[in-house]
Amino acid sequence: MGGTAVHEDIEAWLTEGYATSFRTACLILGNRADAEEAVQEAFLRAWRFRTSLAPGSDVRPWIYRVVVNTCNSKLRSEIPHRDRRTGDGDLEGLPGVYDGMTNVEQSGDIGRALQSLPVHLRVVIVLRYYADLTEREIATAIGRRPGTVKSRLHEARRLLSIHPAVRSLDDEAESDNSEVAE
Amino acid sequence: MTMIDEASLRTMLTEAGDGVALPEGAVDRIMSEASEDRPTTNVIRSMVPRGLVGRAALVAAAVVVVVGGVTIIVGVPGSSPGHRTVAGPAPVAPGSPGAPGRVSATTLPVGSKAPDQSANSNGSNASIGSTGSGGSATFAPAGTLQNGANTIAGPPTGTGTPAVAPLPTGIVGQSTKVVTTATIDLAMGTDPIQPAVTRLTTIATGAGGFVAKSDLQVGQQNVAVPSSGILVLQIPQAAFASVLSQVQAIAKVTAMTSTSTDVTGQYIDLQARIGALQASRLQYLTILSKATSIGDILSVQSQLDTIQSQIEQLQGQLNLLSGQTTYATLTVSLSQSGHRAPPSPAPQSGIGRAWHQSVSGFTTGFEWLVRIAGRTLFVLLCLAVVGISSRWAWRAWRRQML
Repeated sequence: MGGTAVHEDIEAWLTEGYATSFRTACLILGNRADAEEAVQEAFLRAWRFRTSLAPGSDVRPWIYRVVVNTCNSKLRSEIPHRDRRTGDGDLEGLPGVYDGMTNVEQSGDIGRALQSLPVHLRVVIVLRYYADLTEREIATAIGRRPGTVKSRLHEARRLLSIHPAVRSLDDEAESDNSEVAE
Repeated sequence: MTMIDEASLRTMLTEAGDGVALPEGAVDRIMSEASEDRPTTNVIRSMVPRGLVGRAALVAAAVVVVVGGVTIIVGVPGSSPGHRTVAGPAPVAPGSPGAPGRVSATTLPVGSKAPDQSANSNGSNASIGSTGSGGSATFAPAGTLQNGANTIAGPPTGTGTPAVAPLPTGIVGQSTKVVTTATIDLAMGTDPIQPAVTRLTTIATGAGGFVAKSDLQVGQQNVAVPSSGILVLQIPQAAFASVLSQVQAIAKVTAMTSTSTDVTGQYIDLQARIGALQASRLQYLTILSKATSIGDILSVQSQLDTIQSQIEQLQGQLNLLSGQTTYATLTVSLSQSGHRAPPSPAPQSGIGRAWHQSVSGFTTGFEWLVRIAGRTLFVLLCLAVVGISSRWAWRAWRRQML
């Protein structure tokens, strides 16, 4: 795969996959402005170093890797030093973030549950169940072994299961299903 | 514990994620910035071979480099058995000037025999400097005097009180003062040591020296009690090299050490201090001759006594130093092995011999394992350090690149 082909791939990813990448970053970072900045920075970084992608490699996990690394970098260096008292752009506090959603409270609950997870668990759970990456692709994206991804997914699901917000949502879903069955 | 259902989790995350509104114009902004940005070619990355074969070759090359370096470090000459390092400067030929201000020490390899110092009876590659004299014994203390006019005076008079040569005033033209000591161990084998003692005494007196100390222990005949002895010879500096050669020719040399210390500075310092004190003494004598009161006379006399005591003390040190630099000290140790050969073991049967050979083989193999364990552990440690740091650097670099 030459440089032109990679260029086309990235353009295609930007056109078709920007929304998914932005929302993935949004779920990881928990803040819309940070996610927008991270995705923009990630794309430009990927564009700048597009020649470092090995020929024949899959672009999708590589791009997600750039996004995840950029998010990690922000979580590690910028966000902890920021004054979060205003909460501008946070998923929970910003009106209009969930425009078009039928259940705003539900999305707020899952957002809180996600933010309660450690970053390394939050990343794999979002990549797996939102970005719909396979375990192998997640392993490529985070630079770990597939076994590590599997154990992190298990741990993340276990922690989410005991989170009160997710438990209530799960109970509601089960009751709805039972009512429908009856 | 009930785990959350994957389908439910996927639904929740999809609803939560898809509910986030996209920023307006973000794609266009990225495209415009990207169109102005030129691709960056990573020079380092392009140098790294890609693919499994290329990386394997890179790792193999790194391993070869590390193992080669470790082999060079571990297997440096001198670490192998039978090889002794000659410390200090190379031995100098008789009559050559010494190196002032330095202490030189020379050690002879075990197993060599004079006069052919390069001969190696034990198969070791021991050598004695590069005197270019075809391997003959040319050991001499560094700093042997060559100026005949300034050399230390020759044979002792009477009981051996050294005669101090007159020294020119000032540092310029000052002869080098060197204290030389040497020890040599001679293995006599089964030969008696008494003729060797006589021979050593003859050599020392013939060179103008004397035997300062003699300690002999004579063994008993027909029993395995060897004789041994230690002789301390005082040899004039000028004849030290020739005496050393003659001593080495007496028997097999098992060890030899020679040390030369330049004490010219100390010698000059003592002389200067004595001269200054003598000048003070003369001034006090002048004052004493002009003193009139009893109190003044007693006070000046007290000062004169103090100065005189200091002069005598320094003069004693100067005489001792002169004696040490006039004569080199050569300590010769003579050792004799047992008169009777150890009784040969009784011939063993085939099974016994095989058992002993088996035990010996096991011991040899175990010794070999222990011997190489240290080097192997060191090499493995080096490889682990290199591997861990390479992996860490690689991951850090990739993280930085992305």
